[in-house]
Amino acid sequence: MRLTQRAKALGLGIVALGAALALAACGGGGIEGGSGSENVETVKYQPPPSGDLTVSNWPLYIDKDTVPNFENATGIKVNYIEDVNDNQEFLAKMQPLLSKGQSGGRSIIVVTDWMAKKMHDLGYVQNLDKAGMPNVTANLRDDLQHPEFDPNRDFSVPWQSGMTGLIVNTQLAPNVRSINDLFDPQYKGKVEMLTEMRDTVPLVMKAEGIDPNKASEQQWLDTIDKLKSAVASGQIRRFTGNDYTRDMANGDVAAIIGWSGDAVQLQADNPNIEFRMPTEGCILWSDNMEIPVGAPNPTAAEAFMNYVYDPKNQAPLAAYNNYVTPVDGVKEVFQTSNPDLVNDPLIFPTDQFTSKCSTQPNITGEEEQTVTRAFEGVLNG
Amino acid sequence: MSHEHWVALRRRLIPYGLLGPGILWLILFFVVPLYFMGRLSLESGIFPEFRFDWTFSNYSDAFKAYDTQFFRAFQYSAVATIIGLLIAYPLAYAIAFRGGRWKNAMLLAVIAPFFTTYLIRTLAWETILSDNGFVVNTLQTLGLISSDGRLLATGPAVIAGLTYNFLPFMILPIYASLERMDASLVEAAKDLYSSSRQAFLKVTLPLSMPGVVAGTLLTFIPATGDYINAQFLGGAQQAMIGNVIQSLYLKQTDYPAAAALSFILMAVMLLIVFIYIRFAGSEALMGEEVPD
Repeated sequence: MRLTQRAKALGLGIVALGAALALAACGGGGIEGGSGSENVETVKYQPPPSGDLTVSNWPLYIDKDTVPNFENATGIKVNYIEDVNDNQEFLAKMQPLLSKGQSGGRSIIVVTDWMAKKMHDLGYVQNLDKAGMPNVTANLRDDLQHPEFDPNRDFSVPWQSGMTGLIVNTQLAPNVRSINDLFDPQYKGKVEMLTEMRDTVPLVMKAEGIDPNKASEQQWLDTIDKLKSAVASGQIRRFTGNDYTRDMANGDVAAIIGWSGDAVQLQADNPNIEFRMPTEGCILWSDNMEIPVGAPNPTAAEAFMNYVYDPKNQAPLAAYNNYVTPVDGVKEVFQTSNPDLVNDPLIFPTDQFTSKCSTQPNITGEEEQTVTRAFEGVLNG
Repeated sequence: MSHEHWVALRRRLIPYGLLGPGILWLILFFVVPLYFMGRLSLESGIFPEFRFDWTFSNYSDAFKAYDTQFFRAFQYSAVATIIGLLIAYPLAYAIAFRGGRWKNAMLLAVIAPFFTTYLIRTLAWETILSDNGFVVNTLQTLGLISSDGRLLATGPAVIAGLTYNFLPFMILPIYASLERMDASLVEAAKDLYSSSRQAFLKVTLPLSMPGVVAGTLLTFIPATGDYINAQFLGGAQQAMIGNVIQSLYLKQTDYPAAAALSFILMAVMLLIVFIYIRFAGSEALMGEEVPD
């Protein structure tokens, strides 16, 4: 049955390739788009799962036991690669393949909400067969079941969720509690923000009293202008990805916009570093597993998703990552395995803790291009 | 065909056979991509749907939008090249003429950093230049930078990184041209009553020019297109043209603008190299006949 699955994937690939070639012929060549979301394929779950499985994920996003334990439990051989460093870069890298209906051997890719949606809109991911993952149906947290971008979780399953907020060195910047405090001249040159536009700009919008999910293009551009002047005055030192952890550890910066899980890992080395929920709230996001078009062995991919949604398998993953776990029942497992983490608000945030938080805004098309260009112009000033 | 003909034909074909793999490589991995990039630079549209329609305005738009980063790249790279030359020449001279039995060890020391990857070496500079590191502290004590001043995330840090990373490319060609120089030429100059300074300026320096020209080109060209140093050692106001091209390709997925900018960079670079070689003399690059 793996053979038929492969043959089907191959057939699909050939059809997509043909379509791409035909498009290229009409359009005079160049880079062409996907087939669009109207004709998205749906995965067919064909038990029992077996064979090989390639998973593409972000670096340092899994404990060392999950993969071998999954292999022992199912007999599936996993090729786990950490080649996602940035949503946009990953799309740019994969697009030539995906637009031809190929996934480069990957059966699971992990990308953030807005990119999960974008890839679906481009026709680059398949809808899931829920028959293959009863644990996901049973244990996915209520608040994650109906996100705006995928109301029925047809094509995405959260890997981990998290919060974007303040990471503060309490010795250097004891009083930073609001995003507005980052613009205080006493921290000039000691402040950093994220290169991820959908984290940084919405947080600054919230500080301005704008709801990022209802913001107009002009409000995006005005907020980006505010960042631009903060760069020009030397207030913002630079924009970073995960590499802010080095600047934080070296004591080069006092307060930054960063991700909740990183704060916990930084704190392990330096007790003066902590995550702070900004007074205006945080940005909530999830990184989602998706099955790309042309994925070999989607049955094994669904088996993997199902496996990590068993609370006792999720527990070591959640304990390693310190991000918000999307799986219900982990807290109960922690009672015996990691009692120190049971009340960690970064892994199990209460509704009250996140009450003012927003999800990442959805911004697409020409507006996305205009805003991205303005933001990248600030990063590369 | 006679035997002689065969031999003559083979003689004529051998050079082509030897050039073959190189030419094939260049066609496959340089000419073909260049063609596609040239095409891409004239397309328009929004990712992933671009149309080829001779959009020449991509070039003027891209240059107008990013001229600051363009000039900054050339400026950083030129400064790094000059500093590199000032460090490399005395060092290469010392190794070539005063190295003695330590010559190989010193050369090894020059190359040793290459055993570590480029990225790691640059990241190490992040730690060296850190706000609380000893370099910044020393400079603050000496009053060379203000007490709340810093090096990391500034232009000088980027230039320091560029200088460091490309230094071996400067040292090795200069060393090679000094090493093959006949030391008796300097003795002859001195026999003819020239001072050490005159001997250096009239004999050693001209003979080492091929190395200097090669070294400066090998430093200047890659340093101008570099983006790693600006990314890790620079701040938000130190972006070079390489950072912009990277952002256009991977973040903004504006492939036409990125391709156009790459072409402008390539053209400007060719022009500069052309003028430089004209100025320095092409013999300087190719090397003059060294009298035995």
